[in-house]
Amino acid sequence: MPLKWVLHWQPNAGSTVNSQILSEVSQCVESINGVKEGRWRATLTFYKPHTREPTQASEFPRDFLGISLPEQPNKYYLIIRGQRIVLEADSSIQTLMEKLQSYKTRVALYFDGFQYQLGDFQLRVGKVVPTHSENLRGIVMEVEYLPISSMEKGRQVMEEFVDIWQEALSKRSLPGHFVHIEPNFADYGLADSYSSQHSAVQYATVMAQLIATVQAVQSMRS
Amino acid sequence: MECVVQGIIETQHVEALEILLQGLCGVHKERLRTHEICLKSSPNLGTVSSEVRILCDLEQPEPTWTVRHIGGAMRGAGAEQISVLVRTMVESKVSKNVLRLFYALGYKLDHELLRVGFSFHFQRGAQITVTVSSVNKMLKLHATDEAVPVTPGIQLVEVTAPASAESYSEVVSAVSSFCEYLAPLLHLSKPGISTGVVPTAAAAAASLMSDGGGTPL
Repeated sequence: MPLKWVLHWQPNAGSTVNSQILSEVSQCVESINGVKEGRWRATLTFYKPHTREPTQASEFPRDFLGISLPEQPNKYYLIIRGQRIVLEADSSIQTLMEKLQSYKTRVALYFDGFQYQLGDFQLRVGKVVPTHSENLRGIVMEVEYLPISSMEKGRQVMEEFVDIWQEALSKRSLPGHFVHIEPNFADYGLADSYSSQHSAVQYATVMAQLIATVQAVQSMRS
Repeated sequence: MECVVQGIIETQHVEALEILLQGLCGVHKERLRTHEICLKSSPNLGTVSSEVRILCDLEQPEPTWTVRHIGGAMRGAGAEQISVLVRTMVESKVSKNVLRLFYALGYKLDHELLRVGFSFHFQRGAQITVTVSSVNKMLKLHATDEAVPVTPGIQLVEVTAPASAESYSEVVSAVSSFCEYLAPLLHLSKPGISTGVVPTAAAAAASLMSDGGGTPL
């Protein structure tokens, strides 16, 4: 499977993400000759433990996530980030978890937008919104390099592409920039050859970053 | 959802059963060696206790994992009248981290088993699976190489078929009529309703063995 980096938008201190930034980012992809293809959507669900007494919930993981990815319509990914656990399952695992009634959905988010082809790269730009609202919480970008599936072998070409992209975007003087944080995949038991489990881990990591950003803004305001 | 019946057969008659099944199903048997790990939720998790079964197929060159949840059986006067159990069942193939994940979610080991035997998968009015296996317990944690039979000399026969709310009556009918063919060797009934071995089993087995399989029905 081709290797992929998932980047997220980091607003400058004191600014927040908005749809104007999203629009500028999309226009920038097209300005470097990215050819718009179709829509894409990934979903991320936060689960919370269901306990008899609220105080008992602290015994159980609070960072238990489920992720669905557009390239794997029949699969679902479960992650406990704090313990570096990722599981690939059939989509029926969602029904199974519902039947168990031990964990319930706390909040679900969409990563939703357009896909672009640019030479050997496939790019996806997406907004991050709760499933029941249009309240923009973040912007993500996927950079996929089709010819290579080894993350180490593809590292240099990815870095060069992202540098070019950052430079093109910087001309628009937007209040922020894209960040790539690479999780330690080995901690999750994942190998160098890229897979959808790697994507799921990257989305979980991006989510943690988005939450940290929101919390930082909130603590600055209070 | 699935439809299920179970029965027991003496190990000495399993070969005859295999011949009968081979004739009825028209397919080859598949060997079965499944490590079944049954987990229960911690006492504080969920308002009701929940269970999952983690199944590891040891017959494959690389072990494959499935997680399964068996839910409540269909109830009511209609359910009592049918001889097949209809119950909710959800399963999912999973990657190998499944046990670690469920332990981390607050599930604990309740018991584990090793099932060794064979199964037949075929279509006969429904997608039917017949499994014949010895049920073995492990003397040490996860030690599948040191398992001993729970009931020496007796094997478990299970007939299952997937069903939906719309199709279950046809599936029940298909499973029931298939079970009639096995009646000389064993009696199949809802799990939990034990009927013991069948008195005609020895004679039926002898007949099947001397016939060398006979012709498929």
